[in-house]
Amino acid sequence: MARYAMVIDQERCVGCQSCAVACKSEWDVPNGFARTRVRQAGVTGSFPRLTSAFYVSQCNHCDRPTCVPACPTGATYQDANGIVRVDRELCIGCGSCVAACPYGARYVSPTLGKVDKCDFCASRVEKGLDPACVATCPAHAKIFGNLEDTSSDVFRMVYREGAKRLESSEVAIGPNVYYRGKPEHADMLLASFPLQMPRTIAAGKVWAKVANKLVYFAIGATFLGQAVAFFRQLAAGEKQFED
Amino acid sequence: MQAHAIPEFPLPLSPDQAEAMAQRQIKKHHVAIVLLHWFNAIVWMLELSTGSALIVAPAYRFMPWWYLSMMAGIFGSRANMLRFHIAVGLLWIIVFLVYAIFGFRNYLHQEVLRREIALDHDDFDWLRIRLLRLLGRSQAALPKQGVYNAGQKMFALLVYSAVPFIMITGLIMTFHLGTALVAWSMVLHFLLVGMVVSGLMIHVYMGAVFPEERQAFYSMITGMVNELYAYRHHFKWWREIRINEEAWRQEWMGEYSQDKTLPSHTGDRAPLVPENAEADARNSGEGVPS
Repeated sequence: MARYAMVIDQERCVGCQSCAVACKSEWDVPNGFARTRVRQAGVTGSFPRLTSAFYVSQCNHCDRPTCVPACPTGATYQDANGIVRVDRELCIGCGSCVAACPYGARYVSPTLGKVDKCDFCASRVEKGLDPACVATCPAHAKIFGNLEDTSSDVFRMVYREGAKRLESSEVAIGPNVYYRGKPEHADMLLASFPLQMPRTIAAGKVWAKVANKLVYFAIGATFLGQAVAFFRQLAAGEKQFED
Repeated sequence: MQAHAIPEFPLPLSPDQAEAMAQRQIKKHHVAIVLLHWFNAIVWMLELSTGSALIVAPAYRFMPWWYLSMMAGIFGSRANMLRFHIAVGLLWIIVFLVYAIFGFRNYLHQEVLRREIALDHDDFDWLRIRLLRLLGRSQAALPKQGVYNAGQKMFALLVYSAVPFIMITGLIMTFHLGTALVAWSMVLHFLLVGMVVSGLMIHVYMGAVFPEERQAFYSMITGMVNELYAYRHHFKWWREIRINEEAWRQEWMGEYSQDKTLPSHTGDRAPLVPENAEADARNSGEGVPS
């Protein structure tokens, strides 16, 4: 079984947005939303020693995804190959997973009323193709592959060339999109686009803390009361003549 | 029972009276209500069994994993189960909408609002004494009740207040009407169903298991209860029926007394029958009160 990962090579990416365009057209992403975006992390330093990085953001298909347990209906799930996917048949569009994602990778599609996000172009990958963004990148700055394949480019970049995960001390859930480049590139990305703590939506908090307890109490109390009544009835026995 | 003396309070019955009353059937439920009740019961069983298997997140889940996978297996997949849950729910909403629109005057207004929900002083006493009796702390007689007792009224109150919101939140989730709205609908849907289920447990126990209400269970199949049950459990309703019956008798008696020529036995009804054959045929169906 594969373990898919992607590497963004900071030394090759020029921020041309081709990947974002390819993704949008591949998946009919509605206006104002994106499965993958390219943003620039400031220019630092002084001329001529300037540094800048491009934050190519998308779903990280994390090892310990926070969105999967957040989904009430189980519409968000993780394949054995590591790809986190949304089952549109089960998604009701409650937005629990959107709040749970530290990378802002998810959105509720206004056209579908359901959640959408990058799935590493799972339907293309199944056919042996690269994801649309990888196939279209003119600079080969996006590299897709199997981390369990020691001869793959992603394996080399992640385990030999030190491509980094975007993790902080608070949020470390094993993202599988790696950023290759100088060490300051990753720091710069984290400083400019800080990870958001996974949140539980207000309705979810009320459900877990109030609604669940109320229902358990109501049903439990009823059950106990009824058990008492039932055993009294059993002890009394049945009569031959009843009205 | 003497037709002219309708008691204000339940009087002790002689064995003969009790036996005669036990033989006599009174209509309690319309056929429409009986059918709707069992349709509703089937819908609730289907919706509860599938709905409980749709809650998967560890923070909210209450059914065991084996149940979730068993249900998903029965339906082929959880997506199919959700489709089924939605389809049955929509059918339920449509049927009740038809009932609410076409049955408003006959059922909703006459039956539900006036008889199933409104609680009076007797009802509050009844609730207190019923609870004490159930727990074996009292032997006091239960206050007189209408066609539905206070416990049934409380359950109806809970159901009628929760069901519209269960339907609305279900529709919001089915048609994905906005993220925040869907999120709050999930919680409300679960909470209200949970509250109804806690009442439903008592409803099912009282109907199917509790010995004193066995007649009520049969009445949901045949539509009828015997008079003795009505007299002992729903005295105010029994009295209402007797008063109506008496009024009906008086109406017939009035016609009877206007026609002085009417003989006291049916064999001699010739003077009542008009001369022409058309009227003869029209009147031949119904007999004359005797």
